[in-house]
Amino acid sequence: MTAHSLSLAAAQRAYVALMMTVISRGLCAASINDDDVGREVARFRPGYTLVMTVFPDGPRFGLEVTPDGHFARSAVTDEAADLVIRFKHLAHAFLVFTFQEGTARAFANDRMVADGDLSDAIRLVRCLNRMEALILPGPVARRALKQYPPLPLGQKLRTASGIYGRVAASFFTR
Amino acid sequence: MSKSYYEFFCPVKIIAGHSALEHVPFELSTLGAKRPMILTDAGVRKAGLLAPVEAALQVGGIGAAAIFDDVPPDSSLATVRAAATTYRDNDCDAILAIGGGSVIDTSKAVNILVSLGGDDLMAYAGAHNLPRPLKPLFVIPTTSGTGSEVTLAAVISDPERSVKLPFASYYLMPNATVLDPRMTLTLPAHITAMTGMDAMTHAVEAFTCLAANPISDAYATAAIQKIANNLLVAIDEPRNADARLELAQASTMAGIAFSNAMVGLVHALGHATGGVCHLPHGLCMSLYLPYALEYNKSVNGARIGELLLPLAGAQVYASTPPAQRADVAIDFIRRLRDHLHAKTQLPRTLQETGKVRRDQLDEIADRALNDGSIIYNPKEADLGQLRAILDKAWG
Ligand SMILES: [Fe+2]
Repeated sequence: MTAHSLSLAAAQRAYVALMMTVISRGLCAASINDDDVGREVARFRPGYTLVMTVFPDGPRFGLEVTPDGHFARSAVTDEAADLVIRFKHLAHAFLVFTFQEGTARAFANDRMVADGDLSDAIRLVRCLNRMEALILPGPVARRALKQYPPLPLGQKLRTASGIYGRVAASFFTR
Repeated sequence: MSKSYYEFFCPVKIIAGHSALEHVPFELSTLGAKRPMILTDAGVRKAGLLAPVEAALQVGGIGAAAIFDDVPPDSSLATVRAAATTYRDNDCDAILAIGGGSVIDTSKAVNILVSLGGDDLMAYAGAHNLPRPLKPLFVIPTTSGTGSEVTLAAVISDPERSVKLPFASYYLMPNATVLDPRMTLTLPAHITAMTGMDAMTHAVEAFTCLAANPISDAYATAAIQKIANNLLVAIDEPRNADARLELAQASTMAGIAFSNAMVGLVHALGHATGGVCHLPHGLCMSLYLPYALEYNKSVNGARIGELLLPLAGAQVYASTPPAQRADVAIDFIRRLRDHLHAKTQLPRTLQETGKVRRDQLDEIADRALNDGSIIYNPKEADLGQLRAILDKAWG
């Protein structure tokens, strides 16, 4: 492996790690701010844990469903989690987190494996899609999603600013 | 859209054709197996399908060391444990599964216990949780539909906790699948129809959904052609061994296609309907296939149009303008469904089944939305859209 490809991998790793943080916090915020995501999350049982990670050893994030039906960040291990979604390589996580490949497409392209109840994985993907539709600029979201929901601009701005606000706040408060 | 990346895997040896059963003893011996346990159900035994297998084994010098014929239609943990006990008590060294989907799934789960030891199947549930290869497993399908004989998955129900345990591992794939026309000659017409439409749906969804790839496409289109040309023949002439063999091969090819390219909306709706109303899986496939294609058409109509060639043949395909091919292909499938109704009374609508109430459609839509297959469907579907498809399929 050349020095160039190693430093590229290091940069990808740093970016993916950052996006893991942004996305996990975005999901937590959306589970409170957005009715659709809130409804989806409320259908997981309280205490349900999930992990999104990259083979072989991260970066990763864990989430837990709180008693009042929201996502909260969690330190759950891969072994203990109810659902583990694992990218098979850092480069695949990079594709998805730079929104070059949508989450559903990434599943279809064998970029990742889900260990756990598949219907839970589907629900998580819907939450991710919804959050991406809310917080990403339209052209980027359109590339990442099978279908870009026609969100009224006002709603998009309101909910997105709420999510951004909470993500920003959670960076400062932890 | 061409596929930017894909994987394809099928290490299952296919042993197919007339007198295929007579090849089993030699094939078992190449894997060092001498004492196979036959795993099957009462229906297979009653239909007299064990006799040709036992005769072939006997003459080949590898008699069945045990027979477990107590697999129920919806296999459970208790059945798996009981079969594993029979295997151990008789000092067996391989499994020969003879039956349909339930028997095949059970045989995979039994193989986990007898190969890895213990009684705790739960410890191996989920994706890729088996540490090493298992004992030799041969499958002889007696229906032409599930494709389970070439997949890496098994589903076993746990009635105590009322959940279905999924297993997926490369080590669950059988070593060989044996397609002998003698094994499906006595399949009743309506089961031939339902399982045939299950295989058709596997191939159609593998070809039209997100994970389709060039290699799975080859299997899918070949399977569609064989089913389109032989399903009605096998129903009209149940003892036509050539038509039966074509369907058996098509089912296995469709299984190879969908285990590498996955399925979509039809299966999401079908799994949901099976769960809520206990309708047979193949019947659900036949009910939903035309409506799901109709729904997906706005996103991948050109792809659906390509189905017309294997479905209807070169002449119809060439004489149909490209813009109309999707509609004509869907119409072909609808007419196949109507023929099956005329010949076997296979219901054409949810209403005709007599087993679904209209007030159950909301629950079916909700379950379908959370079914794993829906992620591979080319067109996103929300609750309202699923409900609208169900209303159409209601009739
Ligand atoms: Fe199926």
